[in-house]
Amino acid sequence: MEEKKIIKVKCFRFDPQKDEKPYYDTFKVPISGKMSIQDCLVYIRENEDPSLAFFINCRLGFCKRCLIRVNEKSCFACLTVVEEDITVEPLMKDKVIRDLWSKDI
Amino acid sequence: MGEVEKLCDKVISTDLLIVGSEGAGGHAAIKAHSQGADVLIVTKGKIGQCGASQMAGVDFNVDGKTAKTLGFTGDDRDSPERFFEDLVREGLYLNNQKMVEKYVEYAPKAMKDLMDWGMRIYGYDSVHAEEMARGITSAGTYWVAAIRKKVKELKIPMLEDTMLIDLLIREGRIAGAVALNIKSGETILIKCKAIILATGGWHRAYSFNTGSYDLTGDGIGMAYRAGAELISMEMVQFCPITMVWPPKDRGSIALYVLSCIDPFDKYIQLVNNKGERFMEKYDPINLEKSTKEIVSIASELEVENGRGGLHGGIFFSLKHLRPKFIDAIIRIANNRIKNELKDTRYEFTTLIPELIKKCKTENIEVGNGAHYMGGGIKVNENTETTIPGLFAAGECSGGLWGAVRVASACTEVGVQGIIAGEVAPKYVKKVEQAEINENQVREILDRINKPLMRDEGITPNELTKKMHEISGKKVGLIKEGSLLKEATEELLEIINDDLENLCITSTKSKELNDEWIKAIELENILTCLYLSAKSSLIREESRGEFYRRDYTHTDHDNWLKTIVMKQKNGELDIKFENPVVTKISLPKGKLTYQEAIGVATASLKRE
Ligand SMILES: Cc1cc2nc3c(=O)[nH]c(=O)nc-3n(C[C@H](O)[C@H](O)[C@H](O)COP(=O)(O)OP(=O)(O)OC[C@H]3O[C@@H](n4cnc5c(N)ncnc54)[C@H](O)[C@@H]3O)c2cc1C
Ligand code: FES
Repeated sequence: MEEKKIIKVKCFRFDPQKDEKPYYDTFKVPISGKMSIQDCLVYIRENEDPSLAFFINCRLGFCKRCLIRVNEKSCFACLTVVEEDITVEPLMKDKVIRDLWSKDI
Repeated sequence: MGEVEKLCDKVISTDLLIVGSEGAGGHAAIKAHSQGADVLIVTKGKIGQCGASQMAGVDFNVDGKTAKTLGFTGDDRDSPERFFEDLVREGLYLNNQKMVEKYVEYAPKAMKDLMDWGMRIYGYDSVHAEEMARGITSAGTYWVAAIRKKVKELKIPMLEDTMLIDLLIREGRIAGAVALNIKSGETILIKCKAIILATGGWHRAYSFNTGSYDLTGDGIGMAYRAGAELISMEMVQFCPITMVWPPKDRGSIALYVLSCIDPFDKYIQLVNNKGERFMEKYDPINLEKSTKEIVSIASELEVENGRGGLHGGIFFSLKHLRPKFIDAIIRIANNRIKNELKDTRYEFTTLIPELIKKCKTENIEVGNGAHYMGGGIKVNENTETTIPGLFAAGECSGGLWGAVRVASACTEVGVQGIIAGEVAPKYVKKVEQAEINENQVREILDRINKPLMRDEGITPNELTKKMHEISGKKVGLIKEGSLLKEATEELLEIINDDLENLCITSTKSKELNDEWIKAIELENILTCLYLSAKSSLIREESRGEFYRRDYTHTDHDNWLKTIVMKQKNGELDIKFENPVVTKISLPKGKLTYQEAIGVATASLKRE
C-alpha cells in the first residue's frame, strides 16, 4: 500500500441558529494518492464529523458550485489538490448557512 | 387554512410538477410551459449544475437521412427504419418497440429544439460505432446551459436545492407531493394534478460510479412506494476504463472517452499487473476495441484472478509508445480540445493531457464504474406510468433500451422530455385537483423526522458502507446466483431493520444536514439496489449488459420477457411481461453470450 501522510485541515464552523460566533475545528486527514480538498472534506464527514456542511455534486469540475476558500484564496474544492496543512473557509463568511456553505453558491 | 395545510412549513399549488431540472426535466418543463400549462420545477440541485446531464460527453442521435433535413452531412444509406431495426436488434429484443419507434421519430425534434435554444454543436459523427455516422457531438455543459437559458427566459417557476420526498396519492391518482428545502430544512406541501418524474439514475448505490452525488434513485423509490410498476431493474451499465485511482479523479470517464476517439483509440492498451495485454485472451481480433461489455467483463476477470492493481482496477497503458510519440499525442489532443473545439471542461483541458503525460512513466488504474441505469419506472410510449397523473421521463424510466443501451441516452431524455411535456398538460386539463390525504402527509413527515429524533441506532454513513460492501461484491458487473441470493437477503434485512433504526446524532440542525438528506436518500437507493439484485437473481440467462456467470447463454426461448415489479399491500409483486412488439418479431433459440453480443471472444467463464 502507498505511504500515508497525515495533514491537518482547519475548518471554519458556524451554525447561525446555534452558535454565537464562528469557530475553527482541526481534523487530521490521511493523504493517500492525489487527493482534492473535497476528498479531505468527504473523509472528515464520513469518519470524523458527519455534521460538517459543504457543497458536493459532480466531483469533476462540471457543476462549478463547490467554490470554497483555502488559505484565503477561492478555488473549486474538487479540483484543488491538497499536499500540506490547510485552512478551509466558506466563500463568504458573512453569508454562511452552515460551516463551509455560504448562500451565494 | 385547513388542517392539512398546517402540517408542512409551506404550501404551494401548481397543475404540473416536474421533478428534476436537467436533460429530461428541463426539456419537459419548456414543452409543457409552451403548451400553456402551469408548471413548477423542483430540483435537488441548481438547474444546469446537477445530475448526469452536465457530465455527459455528449452525443445525440438522429438517423442519417433525417439528419440532412437539420443541415448535417447525414448519410443516405441510413433511414429511420434502419435506425429502429438496429436499436431493437442490438438491444437484444427486450425493448418496448413502441418506445423505440417514438425514440427514432422524436430524436430529430429533440435535436431541433436544442439547436433552436442555442446549444453549441461540435460536429456530426459516429459515436456509438455504428456502420454509419448517426451522432451529433457537443458537450454536456453546453446542453444543460441551453436548457437553463430557455427555462430562465420563460420564467418557469422553480424550487432549487429542494428534494422531493414522496408522492401523494388519492383514490389511485396523483394529488401532490411533499418536498424538503435542503438549505433551510423547511418542508413543502405541493398540491398538483400531475407529476413528471425526471430524477435520473441511482448511481450512488455503488461506491465506484461515474455519476453525481444527487443520483440516488429518488424518483424510482417514490414511484415504487406509490404503487407504480418498475421494469428491467437488473439492467445496469458499467463503464470500463473509468478512473479508479487517485482519489481526486476517481469516477472520471475521461480515459474511456479518449479510448473511443480516433486517432487515440489506436494507441491505447489495457494491461494487467503483469503487464500483459489481456484483451488478447478475451477478444484477439478486436482487442481493446471490443464491445464495452466484453472489455468490462475481461477487466473484472483479471482483477478477480489476482492480476489487478492495488485499488481493484486494471491498467490503462501507453508504455509501448516512445515518450516523443506520447508528446505528439498530447499535442494532437490539446490542439483538438483547446484550439478546434475550444472546450473548457476540466476533464478535457487539464485532466486528459495530465494523464497522457503521466503515462510516459506509469500506467493508470482504471475499472468498471456504475454508469447508466437501463431499467426504472415502467412507462409506455407516452411516458405514462401505471398511476394516473404520474409520468416519467429520462434515465429514471425503463423499457426503451431492452438489454443494452446502444444509442444516445441524451437523445432518450430529450425525446421523453418532449413527449411528457406534450402529454401531461393534456391530462391536467381533464382532471380536477384531488384532495390531499392528511394521514399520508403525516406519515411521510413522521418517517423522515424519525432519524432526527433517535439518539442511537445505525448512522447513514455506517449504513452506506454496508450497502456499498454488498453492491460492490455481490451485485456488480459479473453476477452469480449464490451471491445475488445473499445480496437480496442481506438487503432485505437492512431495509427491514437498519432503515428503521437510522439515527442522526452529529447535529439535529435541519439546515444543510447532510446526514439527514442521506438518511432520506438511503431508503430510495436501497429500494433500487434490492429490486435490481432480486431481478438479477430471477433472470437466469445473460443478455447484453446483463451477465450471469452461472447462466452464460442468451436464451431467447425462455427469457425474451421483461421483469416487472411493484409494491402491492406492502409486498413485492413480480410478474413477467413480453416485450411490446410492433415490427420485429422475437427470435427463437439459445446463443452463447459472445454470439449474442456479436463478438468473437475467448471463454468468459472463470478460469
Ligand atoms: C459521466 C457521464 C457521462 C455520460 N456521457 C454520455 C454520453 O456521452 N452520451 C449519452 O448518450 N449519455 C451519456 N451519459 C448518460 C446521460 O448523461 C444520462 O442518462 C442523462 O443525462 C440523464 O438525464 P436525466 O435528465 O434523465 O437525469 P439527470 O441529468 O441525472 O438529472 C436528474 C435530475 O433530477 C434531480 N433529482 C434527483 N432526485 C431528486 C429529488 N428527490 N427531488 C428533486 N430533484 C431530484 C437531480 O438533481 C437532477 O436535476 C453519461 C452519464 C454520465 C454519468
Ligand atoms: S463538485 Fe462540481 S465543480 Fe466541484
